[in-house]
Amino acid sequence: MTDTPAGNIAQATSPAGDIVGTRNRWYLGLLLVAAPVLLVCWLIIYPIIAAVVQTVWVPDADGVNRLSLESYRFFFSDGYSLANLWITLWTTLVCAILLLLICLPIALYLRFSEGRLPAYVQALAIFPMFVPSIILSYAFIRVLGPNGMLDILLNAAHLPKIRSPYLTPWGPVIGLVWDHIPLTVLILLSGLGNVSNQSIEAARDVGAGRLIVLWHIILPRIGNSVLVAASFAVLGIFSAFTIPYVLGPAAPEMMGPFMQRTFRELYDPTSAITQAVISFGFCIVFGLFYVYSVARNQRT
Amino acid sequence: MKRRAFMITAAGATAGMVLLPRMSFAVPGQIDWYTSSDQNILDFWTNVVKPKFEAANPGITINLVDGGDSAGLQAIADRAIAALGTSNDPQADFFEGFDSRLPVGALDKGLWVDFSKANLSNYSKINPLAFEIDPQRENLPYRGSQVLLAYDTTKLPAADAPKTWDDLVTWIKANPGQFIYNRPNKGGSGGNFVRRAVYAANGNDTKLFSIDTYTDEKAKELLDPAWAILNDLAPSLMDGGAYTSGNTQSIQLLGQGAVTMIPAWSDQAIQAISQGALPETTGLVQLTDVGFPGNFSRITVNSNGVNKDAALKLADFILSEEVQGAVLTELGGFPAVSWDHVPADLYEKYKDVIPASIPVFPGGPWEKAINENWYRAVAPNVDPAS
Repeated sequence: MTDTPAGNIAQATSPAGDIVGTRNRWYLGLLLVAAPVLLVCWLIIYPIIAAVVQTVWVPDADGVNRLSLESYRFFFSDGYSLANLWITLWTTLVCAILLLLICLPIALYLRFSEGRLPAYVQALAIFPMFVPSIILSYAFIRVLGPNGMLDILLNAAHLPKIRSPYLTPWGPVIGLVWDHIPLTVLILLSGLGNVSNQSIEAARDVGAGRLIVLWHIILPRIGNSVLVAASFAVLGIFSAFTIPYVLGPAAPEMMGPFMQRTFRELYDPTSAITQAVISFGFCIVFGLFYVYSVARNQRT
Repeated sequence: MKRRAFMITAAGATAGMVLLPRMSFAVPGQIDWYTSSDQNILDFWTNVVKPKFEAANPGITINLVDGGDSAGLQAIADRAIAALGTSNDPQADFFEGFDSRLPVGALDKGLWVDFSKANLSNYSKINPLAFEIDPQRENLPYRGSQVLLAYDTTKLPAADAPKTWDDLVTWIKANPGQFIYNRPNKGGSGGNFVRRAVYAANGNDTKLFSIDTYTDEKAKELLDPAWAILNDLAPSLMDGGAYTSGNTQSIQLLGQGAVTMIPAWSDQAIQAISQGALPETTGLVQLTDVGFPGNFSRITVNSNGVNKDAALKLADFILSEEVQGAVLTELGGFPAVSWDHVPADLYEKYKDVIPASIPVFPGGPWEKAINENWYRAVAPNVDPAS
């Protein structure tokens, strides 16, 4: 038994059965999904397979193609490449944690408060979605960069200057978190739609405090949304390019700028594709999380 | 029922076809022009070259298109190669800031016009130095730019500005945190600063480097001492060894007063000053022992464009005294023609900042070696010996 609207509709329509007359035309459904499936195979699945093959089936000294894991061996034995992978994982993890810490309170506030103010807060939370990341990056230099607006304000208040996060690993973290707030808030907000006011009132009636309600009533219901939000954030941040490129340090660099540089400036497609396959390997773990949680959601 | 479904589908498909984007064709008399350069060059063409040329040549217009970077122009040149020998329209006539050696094989297939045989009236005026640097006759040099030092004269009086590499190193170390350059692959200002360090590490001998003599061993031998110099400088740079990711970001930091001195392209710095991105008090200085490397920017014209004749007329026009003078005054670059062909008053005004020769660092494998090894040896700010 479920109380989601989708579940109700599914149950209401299934006894009525063949309303649209699809029972004898089973192929219609397959045809409808054929176009997107073919597109996914052509534009995503095939390039993945081609990329993996290209990195392990390489010409040797005699120009004969043979199976070799040399490019992977190089990546995992090269301190510079590993440092780049490590900073990418670190940035992704820190960003995901910060995003949940920042966005969950915003989403809770938006879900449970009424009046005009939440509308403004929501507009403010969604605003980063409409700011291109290149503009965000230069604005960041103006505000948080050395002698930026923050330094001017601190100076006006007779406080010492900060060590600017610009060109340190924290630069991309701040930029990426700001950039991903809208999506995370929206996903969490939609998850909070599953939490009925009655259940919270019922818990309050038996004397549950705010934290108890959050821990025992709200969080169990939005667990899936949190997982989805985290997966989306991780997938987006892992492959981010512009913000780490402009705001991050020269080295170590995140995988996005590293791949681009290897491909376009070092003219080394095999290494670039190897880096891409390795990034893909990490991302697919979170992709599977996402698929798993969606599938689990549909079963219940 | 089935028939009606078919009709609906067919009608939908037909309606869809009508909405498909139409094929576009080159317009006769409109030069399709592409650039790989920065915004300031596009502005120069929009505000100076295009109006002058169109006024002088009624019936011809220029369609200015920003091709992004060299890779963007290569994609368009690939289209022109594909159209060679067919009646297909490449929709491209003029490439600004490009090299006829690209895409690979284009020269052999005869894609590019040989300017020495194109009867350009101004061709003989080109500074011979430009052809010493790059003898390729399918490349037409039309403007030069060089990297120099831009600095804040309120913190560093012009009289004390460094004039030689050794002075510069001394100044950077005496003023920690006041200098920054960008990553060598992300823009020529930092790239040519690094190349100047390479010269310094090899006794300022610019003759040691040429594209033909490159070997991996030689690159290691010549470049490694430069990494030692740059690593030695790193702790004295902004934030103890930070590197911006482009020419513009360095200018922004100088404009915010976060640093006192940066290497900058002459044209970008002059434009930034005139637009207020850099204050009026910004000083510019070139090193006098060996300058920072620079180069001439070149144009190419494809032989199969619909407007090839108009494009060649434009190529001739940009070598005229009028445009070459504007390269000095409006763009802050320097002319590609010999100084005899620049208005005399301009020559008097600018002769001090224009070097007699511009060191040019070879590209190709050298560029790759510098980009790759700088990232591994200098960017991490780790002492290789430790």
